[in-house]
Amino acid sequence: MAAATSTSAKPFDIVATYNELLRSDPDLTMPIAAIEALVLLLTHSPSSTISETLDLLEKSTAHLKQSIPNPIGLSAGTDLFQRYLITTLQRPGQLGPAGDFNAIRAHLLSNGRLFIRRAKESRDKIAAFGRGFVRDGSTVLTNGGSRVVASLLQQAAGEKGGPSAVRFRVIYVLSPAKGDVEGSSAEPEGMETVRALREKGVPVATIPESAVAYSLGKADVVIVGAEGVVENGGIVSRMGTYQIGLLAKAMGKPFYVVAESHKFVRLYPLGQYDLPIEQRVIDFKTEEDVADEATQQQQQQAQPTPNVKSPDSSDVVDYTPPHLISALITDSGVLTPSAVSEELIKIWF
Amino acid sequence: MPATSGPLTPGLASFLKTLRTNPIDTSIDNLISLLKRRQIRHSRSCATATAYLLRGVISASRTNDANKLIERVQNVGRRLMAAQPREMVVGNIVRRVLGLIRDEAEDDREGDFNLSEAGSESQPQTPRGLDDPTDVLSARHDGSDRGASRQPLPALTAAPISMFSLLSHPDTENSLPGTPVSASPSGRLLGHAPGKDIRAEVLDGISEIIDELTQVDDQIAAYALDHIHSNEIILTHTSSTTVQKFLLKAAAKRKFTVIHAEAFPNNHEATHATVSGANPHDDELLSTESFQKPLIALGITVILIPDSAVFALMSRVNKVILGTHSVLANGGLVASAGTRVIARAAKVHQTPVVVVSGVYKLSPVYPFDFDSLIEYGDASKVISYEDGDLVDQIDVQNPLYDYVPAELIDLYITNLGGHAPSYLYRIVSDHYRKEDISV
Repeated sequence: MAAATSTSAKPFDIVATYNELLRSDPDLTMPIAAIEALVLLLTHSPSSTISETLDLLEKSTAHLKQSIPNPIGLSAGTDLFQRYLITTLQRPGQLGPAGDFNAIRAHLLSNGRLFIRRAKESRDKIAAFGRGFVRDGSTVLTNGGSRVVASLLQQAAGEKGGPSAVRFRVIYVLSPAKGDVEGSSAEPEGMETVRALREKGVPVATIPESAVAYSLGKADVVIVGAEGVVENGGIVSRMGTYQIGLLAKAMGKPFYVVAESHKFVRLYPLGQYDLPIEQRVIDFKTEEDVADEATQQQQQQAQPTPNVKSPDSSDVVDYTPPHLISALITDSGVLTPSAVSEELIKIWF
Repeated sequence: MPATSGPLTPGLASFLKTLRTNPIDTSIDNLISLLKRRQIRHSRSCATATAYLLRGVISASRTNDANKLIERVQNVGRRLMAAQPREMVVGNIVRRVLGLIRDEAEDDREGDFNLSEAGSESQPQTPRGLDDPTDVLSARHDGSDRGASRQPLPALTAAPISMFSLLSHPDTENSLPGTPVSASPSGRLLGHAPGKDIRAEVLDGISEIIDELTQVDDQIAAYALDHIHSNEIILTHTSSTTVQKFLLKAAAKRKFTVIHAEAFPNNHEATHATVSGANPHDDELLSTESFQKPLIALGITVILIPDSAVFALMSRVNKVILGTHSVLANGGLVASAGTRVIARAAKVHQTPVVVVSGVYKLSPVYPFDFDSLIEYGDASKVISYEDGDLVDQIDVQNPLYDYVPAELIDLYITNLGGHAPSYLYRIVSDHYRKEDISV
């Protein structure tokens, strides 16, 4: 972590900025927060040449990726930002050729808010596309705390008693709250959506993850969000999505993924354990190991270290392969999983 | 127009005959009622009628303004599509014509983009009011429709790379869609740039679509020898002419066996006629198809079976070749009833299923609700009304179509070649503009 110390010595700390952005606006997705952090980085560092800027971006991105336990989502944002910069510089047009680097820089710097707004607007766009998937009288099964799914369902529900309202029901799969050690004080992710939907008059049933197979018979369609959409059209999403996908496939229910196109990430996982992140979900232990850990913990409690946040307790993800996905509902339309690679190829090559 | 159609039975032939003589609005109404009454039914007939009608619409509207043309075609297209929403080819042709106009308009605009900046205040268009009586007429004719549809046009230029739309410069978004409204009329008034006759270009494009519709079966048949090998046993269903041509092409060089499921009750007569070579009394397919030799004349063994025997025979079949009614963007398809059973049986026996279909049948519509795609037909074909007692007591249904999900299909052969079902989205995006998907 040599890079970490050297960067944090500088006045601008990209990791802190990124975390702060995510904390300050709960509606912000990881890729957008990453883009915002990079924009702020550019504001703080006056660099005049293209290569200097690209170099700075690359370094900061690498640093950011290293310091975040699960960088899949944010790497979609940083990649997009970098490719946009490079492509715009190469393409002759209103903003290119290369001489106009300052114009691009100015555009990026002055429009940070605009990007966030567009990202949020794309959610509405998706909701508009996705409304067709929620039919009158149908039952939707969903999970997690995806904001896109929430906005889709809420838009489908419409105004209470309004003319456009679709009458549907929701089965919401709730996983136990994040900090489950501290007790039930923290409420499970997604409760907010459940409340909002109930307020709109949508009947919502909440079930634990273990009841998915049992409940799926009553559902007509499964709609989930995603943290990242990988190159082969599969998704990286919160733990438990893969099993819902498998069950939906086994039961012949359509399984739709709702994701903004800025979540497409250039990654080609071959399986669950091929993701570029460290997740200690399967942790084999003997009695000896358990005892070791207990003593270690006691030592730690005796002299508390600043690093108490363990990344593996929350935010674990799994990978849902493309053959389980019926369609991806994105802001550029309803795509089949195989269309994702094409979108990515367009920006990379 | 009954006066001009004379002794012809209403259908594609009579429609095309009267199209030349009737005013365009009568023809539009005529086609709408033909579609509503299901007097035009085959996919290709519907597509051909739509293409000819739109060619008439474009040539009748004497304007060179792309936006006016788009609006007019959209207006007509909406009415046609509403008349028979399940004939998705109608919408496909409308979208392709809209795409043509947009392409031409964009080519045009790239040329006069700089010039038009100067005269961009839109001037009152006095000449058009005079030389365009039909447009004025139609405006009065269905004024309510047009008033409702006169919303601002959707963005004409899609951002070149959609993923960048998030970061793109606001100028690139705003400048382009705004300009054509003012740019193209002024460009026309200035009278610069010869050969910028959008309307003529579009008419040429529609003629190309019509050509495509007449050639599509032969183009598909050209791939037959790649897919049908000697001594294979092929199973097919219904009297689809696309399939017949495909098989005939292969039969010219190779010997194979065809098992033909008869598609009772909606298509069995036509199927019997196709198999035996007895002339089908098909008045709609007015082309040379009716003079075609049947497969048996070429020495092919054809076995006609009832639909119920499909599963039993599937274990001996090498390949299933099917025609279709329309193909959807997710790779699924809507085909005549009984197709899904066959596709399913083929899946159980791991027999490859090949679907032959012209690209014009490929619809950009995503099937949200499969049930709404299925059309129900004449119940008396199942139980005739002479069996009054029975009809009174039971509910008879005769679905005309089946929805076949993409995973049951192994290959699509279109006039562009063979495609996996998962690749169809690509062909959709090549043929239709994103802004036209919901007309």
